[in-house]
Amino acid sequence: MAKMSTSILSYRTRGWLRMSVEKQDTLLKMAVLSLAAILSFSCRLFSVLRFESVIHEFDPYFNYRTTKFLAEEGFYSFHNWFDDRAWYPLGRIIGGTIYPGLMVTSASIYHILNWLHITIDVRNVCVFLAPFFSSLTTIVTYHLAKELKSPGAGLVAAVMIAIVPGYISRSVAGSYDNEGIAIFCMLLTYYMWIKAVKTGTLFWSTMAALAYFYMVSSWGGYVFLINIIPLHVLILMITGRFSHRVYVAYSTLYVIGTILSMQISFVGFQPVSTSEHMGAFGVFGLCQIHAFVDYVRSRLNKAQFEVLFRAVISTVAATGVLVLVMLTAMGKIAPWTGRFYSLLDPSYAKNNIPIIASVSEHQPTAWSSFYFDLQMLTFMFPVGLYFCFSNLTDENIFIILYGVLSIYFAGVMVRLMLVLAPVMCILSGIAVSSMLSTYMKQIDEVKTEKKKTKFEGNYFMRSEIATFFVCVMSVFLVMYTLHCTWVTSEAYSSPSIVLSARGHDGSRIIFDDFREAYYWLRHNTPQDAKVMSWWDYGYQITAMANRTILVDNNTWNNTHISRVGQAMASTEDKAYEIMQELDVDYVLVIFGGLTGYSSDDINKFLWMVRIGGSTEKGTHIKEHDYYTPAGEFRVDKEGSPTLLNCLMYKMCYYRFGQVYTEGGKPPGYDRVRNVEIGNKDFELDVLEEAYTTEHWIVRIYKVKDLPNRGA
Amino acid sequence: MLDFVYGLPFLVLELPRLKLKRPSWVTVPSPMTVFAFILLSYFLVTGGIIYDVIVEPPSVGSTTDEHGHSRPVAFMAYRVNGQYIMEGLASSFMFALGGIGFIVLDQTHSPSTPKLNRILLIIIGFACIIISAIACYAFMKIKLPGYLMS
Repeated sequence: MAKMSTSILSYRTRGWLRMSVEKQDTLLKMAVLSLAAILSFSCRLFSVLRFESVIHEFDPYFNYRTTKFLAEEGFYSFHNWFDDRAWYPLGRIIGGTIYPGLMVTSASIYHILNWLHITIDVRNVCVFLAPFFSSLTTIVTYHLAKELKSPGAGLVAAVMIAIVPGYISRSVAGSYDNEGIAIFCMLLTYYMWIKAVKTGTLFWSTMAALAYFYMVSSWGGYVFLINIIPLHVLILMITGRFSHRVYVAYSTLYVIGTILSMQISFVGFQPVSTSEHMGAFGVFGLCQIHAFVDYVRSRLNKAQFEVLFRAVISTVAATGVLVLVMLTAMGKIAPWTGRFYSLLDPSYAKNNIPIIASVSEHQPTAWSSFYFDLQMLTFMFPVGLYFCFSNLTDENIFIILYGVLSIYFAGVMVRLMLVLAPVMCILSGIAVSSMLSTYMKQIDEVKTEKKKTKFEGNYFMRSEIATFFVCVMSVFLVMYTLHCTWVTSEAYSSPSIVLSARGHDGSRIIFDDFREAYYWLRHNTPQDAKVMSWWDYGYQITAMANRTILVDNNTWNNTHISRVGQAMASTEDKAYEIMQELDVDYVLVIFGGLTGYSSDDINKFLWMVRIGGSTEKGTHIKEHDYYTPAGEFRVDKEGSPTLLNCLMYKMCYYRFGQVYTEGGKPPGYDRVRNVEIGNKDFELDVLEEAYTTEHWIVRIYKVKDLPNRGA
Repeated sequence: MLDFVYGLPFLVLELPRLKLKRPSWVTVPSPMTVFAFILLSYFLVTGGIIYDVIVEPPSVGSTTDEHGHSRPVAFMAYRVNGQYIMEGLASSFMFALGGIGFIVLDQTHSPSTPKLNRILLIIIGFACIIISAIACYAFMKIKLPGYLMS
């Protein structure tokens, strides 16, 4: 750095664009950051360019519906909203069971833009919110890495996080989900926390508490923050780095942050009554004790202090443990809940809660997911940790802790790769920046005579090696870019609601069956019709078809979902009893056998059986009844008769036995299971077919009324 | 007064004649020791050990070729979210090797290492980096045949 500025100082008056070094520095930083922000926005737009500006997947439809409600009705109606069109006949208290941050952010942006007479529809605000927030994330990452190491590390980290596939997968345009803004809030909270620890001022601590409040309002993953920050304080205490700055920072953050977090209805009193938050409380107490002990130690002489110290520690420790055990035993403190407990014991969900185990995002991670989502960062992560360990400071300990914990959590659940991506970028930024600064200095040969120290002869081809290293690093970074762009374009830009495939002549065929079916429901069924389908499609049906449904993606009531599972897995008459009990008018199934769409209900059927059989009323449903005697799940003639006569089978394959799907194959050939179906010519007793979409992907059936007496 | 309070339990209890000391080998570990542990756990976790424990895939897969012999398959193809045990460990070894290559290169800057050591370290460092990058690219290409081809 010194050599560069001496050579540039000599050009000062006739400089590049006649600017001083500082101004060139600022210009370079601003240019790189702006380009990174624009890049992060634009590389998330693939699906908007290929299809249209539409909301993707399932969960975002619920968020979109609630945002529309908020934008139209106002905050108080939204906060007190009881939705009677979902979970019939139970309903859902929406105001108290969501994290409102996302909806409030979108609605505010919508109102601000419309107040400025830039008339953008709510749907477009929702679609483009995640890319916009990813640009903001790029800037916050720069600031965070700058605090940890240097502005160079900040710039590299910012550019890396702009395109890292692990983050893009949940924040692409159209993916309107909590994670889109949660990552921004999380990094903002971390940045404020690091500033608070470094300066020890009330200002930064309060800003950290406000950022934490924004984080709590946006995502349930805030539990990670409220555990990692106390853990950081604890490690600082153990390594002897506890100081008044950390004391001020943590006490302020805990008190103000907890009170603010309890303002969100969904969080309510959890911060004082669940085990997930007790760690933070414990560390808060420990902070007070540690600070008090330090104060007393500075006042008393040694002997008196020892006596008092031992007495206090033993009594406090004993009573603390006793109180905690008593409260947990009495049930006043709730133990770790299912979703978070499965992070500590990964086999818990598989053995006990089939709904959590069935979600594909909750599966553990294989090595290829790591490489696919992060590529070069997997190499640079240990190097970044090494540089942090080489010079330990308070803030480096925080990033080490964050890195290690998030690697473990990302290994347990694929979905949490999202939490790992920012820390991978920051640590890799630190690594790349440190190595490049060391090597760049060695590129220019020092030719002055007086520099011949006795160690000069130990160097070998210094500048050539340095140039070679810089070239290798550049090749790595270019390969990273190519990989990220390819992955974004191929894997993470599909809207899932619209599918596309190539015909034999190379032309593109669009499957828009989902929206076709939902709009049919919207226009051709009575307003108070109730639709039964598997819980995956619940949000989409309420948002697009505007009809009442029984179960949706919120999955808060396992018994109700199990009842639907029993209906799908039973024979027609048994299922008819359940459907009459639940007032069902229409049933909707997804069938991929004609097109080869593999995420259809027959492939999900075993989960319906497992969940259906997991409650009291469903004990007659046993999974092994649906397998062949050899233990296989088959839909052809060898398939189990229970499977071939259950409601789901009949609804999917009604009239399919007469359809020719592929050349050279018999009629009724299922293109997903690759077999000819077993039970072909049957009639439905209690249902009648209402609508089947163009490519048979969505099939809707109307439940027949009870027969008249005497007929 | 405090002495009286302190003495109360000992009217009932009797002190055992023990001398307990914290063993001298229990110390706060050095940063580099902790880093070595973290690198080991990184190797295990990115190798998909949790996936192996929960899903229990076979160590290597097998297919039957045209003569009816069963041949081993190293990589579970066409699926990014599935793996066999050996392929997971091999790939995470490559990740760790790449990281170690960069760390070795960082050790080559001190002026007091002899020339031969420095040359060897540089060669090892670059070899680790380049081998691991090419290996991971090759593994991914075997796993996803359409990798980096639009």
